[in-house]
Amino acid sequence: MDSIHPVRKVLSPLFLIGGLALLGASLAMDCMGGGPPPFYQYRGLILIAGILLFFAGLYLFPTLTHHRDIVNVIFLFPLLFTFGVTVIIPLLLGIFYSMTDWTGIRYTQFVGLANYAQMFHEVSFLWSLLITVLFVVFNMVLVNLVGFALALLCTSRLKGVGFFRAAYFLPNLIGGIVLGYVWQFVFNNVLVKVTGASLLTKTPSAFAAIIVVYIWQYAGYIMLIYVNGLVTVPGDVLEAAAIDGANAFTTLLRIKIPMIASTITICTFLTLTSAFKQFDVNMALTNGTGSVMDFMGQYLSNGTQMLALNIYNTAISKNSYALGQAKAVLFFIILACVSLVQVRISNSKEVEL
Amino acid sequence: MKRWLSLLLAAVLTLSLAACGGNAPAGNDASGGAESPADSSGGAPSADSIRLVNGKIEVDAALKKLAAMYKEETGVEVSIESMGGGIDIQGTLKGYYQAGNMPDIFVNGGASDFANWGGLCADMSDQPWVSDTDAAYVNEDGVVGFPYTVEAIGLAYNADILEKAGVDPATLTSPAAYEAAFATIDGMKDELGITAVVGYYTEPVNLYWSTGNHLFGNYEDAGLDREDTTYFDLLSNGGQLDVDRFTDFANFVALLQQYADQSMMISGTYDQQILNFASGKYAFVTQGSWIGATMTTDDADAYAAAGNFKVGMAPYAFQDGIDTILTNSPSWWAVYKDGNVDAAKAFLQWLTTDAAQEVLVMEAGFISPFNSSAYVATDPFAQTIVDYQNAGKTSGWHWLGNKEGLAQNYTGQVFNDYAQGNLDTERFVQVMQQVCATAYAG
Repeated sequence: MDSIHPVRKVLSPLFLIGGLALLGASLAMDCMGGGPPPFYQYRGLILIAGILLFFAGLYLFPTLTHHRDIVNVIFLFPLLFTFGVTVIIPLLLGIFYSMTDWTGIRYTQFVGLANYAQMFHEVSFLWSLLITVLFVVFNMVLVNLVGFALALLCTSRLKGVGFFRAAYFLPNLIGGIVLGYVWQFVFNNVLVKVTGASLLTKTPSAFAAIIVVYIWQYAGYIMLIYVNGLVTVPGDVLEAAAIDGANAFTTLLRIKIPMIASTITICTFLTLTSAFKQFDVNMALTNGTGSVMDFMGQYLSNGTQMLALNIYNTAISKNSYALGQAKAVLFFIILACVSLVQVRISNSKEVEL
Repeated sequence: MKRWLSLLLAAVLTLSLAACGGNAPAGNDASGGAESPADSSGGAPSADSIRLVNGKIEVDAALKKLAAMYKEETGVEVSIESMGGGIDIQGTLKGYYQAGNMPDIFVNGGASDFANWGGLCADMSDQPWVSDTDAAYVNEDGVVGFPYTVEAIGLAYNADILEKAGVDPATLTSPAAYEAAFATIDGMKDELGITAVVGYYTEPVNLYWSTGNHLFGNYEDAGLDREDTTYFDLLSNGGQLDVDRFTDFANFVALLQQYADQSMMISGTYDQQILNFASGKYAFVTQGSWIGATMTTDDADAYAAAGNFKVGMAPYAFQDGIDTILTNSPSWWAVYKDGNVDAAKAFLQWLTTDAAQEVLVMEAGFISPFNSSAYVATDPFAQTIVDYQNAGKTSGWHWLGNKEGLAQNYTGQVFNDYAQGNLDTERFVQVMQQVCATAYAG
């Protein structure tokens, strides 16, 4: 057991070198778009064979001290690789594109930070930032309040609680685009008989309409998390409170809410990030329309356009892919900061508990 | 050691893939033709199939019929992918391009689209059909756009209602004439059985293109010679508007608003607009010749119930003497340079043959841009377009070259605000100047 089998000393470097050679050959053939006919056709198989051979060589690497580390790396590799291909590479490419004049098809020059500078001179973009923050604040409060109230209802001893839980959760299962069009029909053709003009035609009421639809969609989901939290509050604590003469309101305020503090943190951040990323309902319901008569001295035509939609429209509809990409990078930075704060707070809470 | 090793490994593989990824699209495209015959298992398109992205979803059935005919005749499989309505076709095409999934033939809407695809469209100047039409799209890459129809923008009217009301559409060439005509028809609403004089809709989410592109396009072109780009050039130069002309235009829009269907003007949909017109509830509608296809298919029952009335088109005469409607090829089909070029060109050439023209004209309702085509569409608006063309009373349309997203992100909303009464005429003109300047600066 202590000694390394001599065959491994020979096989390992052989496999490593052979694997890398196959890997390199197949990639080179693909990048150049040609090669010796029988091999070019099977470059995919060659690629896989090269990878397998390389890992076999790595596994047989003649070492005792690091063998376990190597095995760990081999097991970790698929995840790292996937993460790199689907997250890291697109992120780096995106940051690069944001500094060029990319049109979505090609770029001709490197423009440095010009896109970032232009973005902050665009009044409509600042407006989008502003109302996104407003939207987040409204939703963080309202979705949690509604979700928590529904959760209280659905954990009480009413009949048919299971049905109501499912019913409140149902809107969350409908895609945002479908939901947006359904509600657009409701606002434009049904509610219009009550409201006179459609709510979607004026910016403030359209903004309120998006909030209502969003709560309708999301409160059921948050409710489920709160239900789970409330169910875990131990029965003996509640019983003790009841014996001490606490009424329902005091029990809620002094027992239940403190006991589910961590759930509240989770739900708050969940609503925060998801409200920040709001896109589909916004797009289907108003597509960002609505006018602002005077914001920083300008008339704006994107009254209800939130950040994600602004990025999309900048890139797709206005055909400024590079500028849209720059906005997306800013969007990423904001969300990354929020997530970091969330992790901080969650961790410190866990320590307290 | 462990961390170091894993980091190094990840970095090496990431970099090698990134390096390869940079070249991959070009490499794949170049090899696309070479690999397809051999690599049949990969699902790559074979040499005898082409894919066409069509931007007019309303003619999807007719195109699929053509594809079936072509397959029967030549064995070449043509798959039709139709997109339409509010879908951003260019955005989808860019996604296809990035994914290496470009169709062989795709639709381009105008100068800015063709500029985007500069160097990527095949030159078709060697094709016989080029000499048969004057509507092909030509740029520095050669003849890159295959025209397939002619459309017209004017104020569509119900000829039966106008006749009953005693209004001669030929006299509608000045704002004063319109004002008188609208007032006459408005006074006879009950006798004529109409709900409003004009079906003018300004809903900004899904119908922005009607106001922001087509109506606004009349400011740019109405009454001018086909090649006259005075106001388009002015707009292209930093988004400037000619205040006098635009104020006249704004006053005319105000007239439309005054006699419009008030309950629908702000938030009605395209479907409602066409259905109401086809049902004979409006004397005029602010849509162009393409609604003929909807009236005779989706709304055929309502149209028949209203007596399949005759229709026509009047100029948007916001100034005295404007007597032209706007006609143009609304979009073109381009051939992707690295796709199945020869098969695609052959298919497009085949589309100009008699059998194919019959389907395109008689079933898809296209007004053929080809001189050799003997067919006149049964579309309700076909005759009126031909009449205007024969009389030489057409203007070009240049709004296709407007700044991308101008209607969707800017002007559509301004028209809606004007209709809502949030802006008076003077402020409407100011705001329009401001948003155009903003759009062209960005």
